[in-house]
Amino acid sequence: MDRRKFLTLTGTFTGGSLLLPDFLYSFGSQKNLIVGEQCIVFVQLNGGNDGLNTFIPFEDALYYDVRPKIALSKTEVLNSAKGMAFHPALKGFASMQQSGDLSVIQNVGYPNPVRSHFRSQEIWQTAPTHQEYLSDGWLGRYLDLQCKEHQPTAGINIDTIDNLALKGEEPNSITVKDPDRFKTKSKAENDGQLSKNPQLDFVRKVANSVVEGSDDIQKALAKSAPSDVVYPKTGLAKNLEWISKLIKGNLNSKVYYTSLGGFDTHDNQLSIHKNKLTELNDAVFSFYEDLKKSQQLQNVTIVVFSEFGRRVKDNGRGTDHGTAAPMFVIGGNNRGKIIGNNPNLSDLDNGDLKHEIDFRSVYASILKNKLDFDFTKIGIQNKALEGLF
Amino acid sequence: MDKNTLWSLRLGYSAKQAKTIEKIGLKKFLEQSFATKFDSKIPDFLEDSPKSIKELQKAKKALMSENPEAKKELLKKEIQTSAEMRAWWIDKMNQDEFPLREKMTCFWHNHYVSTFQKVKVNYWVFQHNQILRENAFGNYKTLTKKIIQSNAMVRYLDNVDNRKGKLNENLSRELLELFTLGIGNYSEDDIKNGAKGLAGLGVGEENAVYRRIFEDNDNFVYLGKKGNFKIDEMIDIIFEQPNIPYLITRKILKWFIYDNPKEELVRYYGDYFKKMNFEIQPLLTKIFTEEFAKNNAGSKIKNPLEYALQLMNELNIENPNEKLIARFLKDQGMDLFNQPNVKGWDGGNSWLTSQVFLQRNNIADLLCNGKNLTRAKKINNDNSMMSDDLMTRQNPNLQLKVKLDWNKEGNNKEIIGELKNRLLFQTDEADQQDFEKILKYDFDSKSEGSDNAVLRLFNFMVKTPEFQLI
Repeated sequence: MDRRKFLTLTGTFTGGSLLLPDFLYSFGSQKNLIVGEQCIVFVQLNGGNDGLNTFIPFEDALYYDVRPKIALSKTEVLNSAKGMAFHPALKGFASMQQSGDLSVIQNVGYPNPVRSHFRSQEIWQTAPTHQEYLSDGWLGRYLDLQCKEHQPTAGINIDTIDNLALKGEEPNSITVKDPDRFKTKSKAENDGQLSKNPQLDFVRKVANSVVEGSDDIQKALAKSAPSDVVYPKTGLAKNLEWISKLIKGNLNSKVYYTSLGGFDTHDNQLSIHKNKLTELNDAVFSFYEDLKKSQQLQNVTIVVFSEFGRRVKDNGRGTDHGTAAPMFVIGGNNRGKIIGNNPNLSDLDNGDLKHEIDFRSVYASILKNKLDFDFTKIGIQNKALEGLF
Repeated sequence: MDKNTLWSLRLGYSAKQAKTIEKIGLKKFLEQSFATKFDSKIPDFLEDSPKSIKELQKAKKALMSENPEAKKELLKKEIQTSAEMRAWWIDKMNQDEFPLREKMTCFWHNHYVSTFQKVKVNYWVFQHNQILRENAFGNYKTLTKKIIQSNAMVRYLDNVDNRKGKLNENLSRELLELFTLGIGNYSEDDIKNGAKGLAGLGVGEENAVYRRIFEDNDNFVYLGKKGNFKIDEMIDIIFEQPNIPYLITRKILKWFIYDNPKEELVRYYGDYFKKMNFEIQPLLTKIFTEEFAKNNAGSKIKNPLEYALQLMNELNIENPNEKLIARFLKDQGMDLFNQPNVKGWDGGNSWLTSQVFLQRNNIADLLCNGKNLTRAKKINNDNSMMSDDLMTRQNPNLQLKVKLDWNKEGNNKEIIGELKNRLLFQTDEADQQDFEKILKYDFDSKSEGSDNAVLRLFNFMVKTPEFQLI
């Protein structure tokens, strides 16, 4: 972020930058001094998470009619409010909601929904107005306008591949393949598995040694206070724990992005979905507790979403691709409400839920309220969602 | 990786020749490459550049009499001409139907180093380059004789200062150490004595000539032989030495195929080279045809030229700006006509430092985003190397049209396979999984935005370590 320029500008407005007091100038020229910066952490559930079995309309008799094989019984679900309940694996989600730190946004989607993983993810990540094809992501466009100078750590993506959402004109984000590589430099060097090709091993070693911005990351990790919370030993938990260290070490990234796969539950849904939601719940809840204890929760907004929900009616032991689904927003001083109506199981579009809240209005609300950014500048024309923050 | 693509990259700079190699076979491809005519025309940008000694002296005199501003102007002009020459050469490499001649010229360019920075006369550097081009597939001994007697070389290695009674050993040393036998195959006395034979060999009108008053005509011992030898005879003696074929054969193997060639291969091809009386063409034919049959992909790190031209070609960038490419090469440690020292670019692992690798990836991102390379600042030594200049910032002059070739009829796996075949010498399970995360099973190749998606896959692939190797 160009805080330094911002301060310089402020100085200009108040009587010329030459008059800017020295201490304020040095303040502006130091990168990581200000605590209390807002950032957003995205957790993308890949494969299309079944919203109806995540945040469940358990008082709606229709729910049990359309899902004879995979409905979750009233006795096991975790009561929320308004006739809705959490999946039994989401104990942490229920508890965060009770503490007023979790909002549920119901029936989120977009007009003319696409049921292809590929395209729907592309739509969520680029946020086009009329589903036009865009080559840059919505967060990438935001960072382009926000970062006056190229800043490699403005966005951090933890994945093996680059993230379209963060792709912009300028490389203002980096992809970190394995947070463990940042443990210590000497360790990382011994980590690479050797192939039979010494040239390839050499290039891999070089490639591993350089992630642009890795120095900033190292510094943040070194500065970060140790955590009181013991995270579970899952991939997502590891990623979130690492993100918490960067936040506590004042890395000053605006956006963190990570994902959890395995939600494409065409078959054997009950057990797969339970496992996946358990992993999600335990990881996110540890992260939440960690942030809360370190008094960072008001600065960090966690957003959990998926490219689409699943078909209302089950296909036997699973569900096929669907449309609208709930989004979860945790922390960042959100209002802790359930926003929107309960899913209407009697008014479907080809067997799928009709969306009521556009995902772009959620994006707009986040950009406006948390990042103080005019979302129309990146082409979002929807109104910002009310009642979230 | 498809074998024809691999060899198109090895014998040229991109996958452009893969189809031809596939169609006519490697043998015919080599024959046609050897048969190419070289362009003997003096390029336009050299028109005003001083050429003969007379012209040089005239220019010098003009410099002395005029004001310092005019002197600066003239120097600036020569530097511009040098930049033109780089662009001219890159264009040849990029456009030639059979780029092997230019690839071999570049090999010799890095063997008989004579930099513009020291030679300072663009025309001499051009002449030097033309000798390499003309003799690219000729005879090693003949080429050595011609190149040592080029104006560029005698100036570059200070033989212009080598006079009887005031000997300068520079050229004599490199002739043995770097150009022919290599260290361990001669004595210090050979170097001292060789300098006597070279004394007085200085710049002439078209090529280097002996100047009688500076010559040293005493007898001396050179590699065991005694006499009053001059340059041609000295080179004849050098080429009688048993170890003469190996240094150059090793370097050829390194330039085209292996960063670390096995010594037995060096001996094997070197012995053949000697048997062929140092004719380069049969040597290349033998190496390429025998190595083609082997499974040796991924044994060499791409040099910056191979890296940049392949990317530009894959993205179908028409009329790339060669001057920008030349600057990129410079940042990558491959400044044409300007090696850091007489040893030339080391190649192999030394092509890739972490900063260079990072810059390659940034360049890949820029090009895939349809932006040209911009002026890159010096690479800093700290990790924050990425200079702002490198980013184009919406400058319309730097926008490029990029278009990737891929099979619109294919499904995700077929498209992944097609690109892998063109770009990566090998891939594993984990790579494949990543590729399929970018192009998922329900990817629709016919949809309007499919080009973007395939371009993202391409962008990802060219940033893998595997892409750095051929």
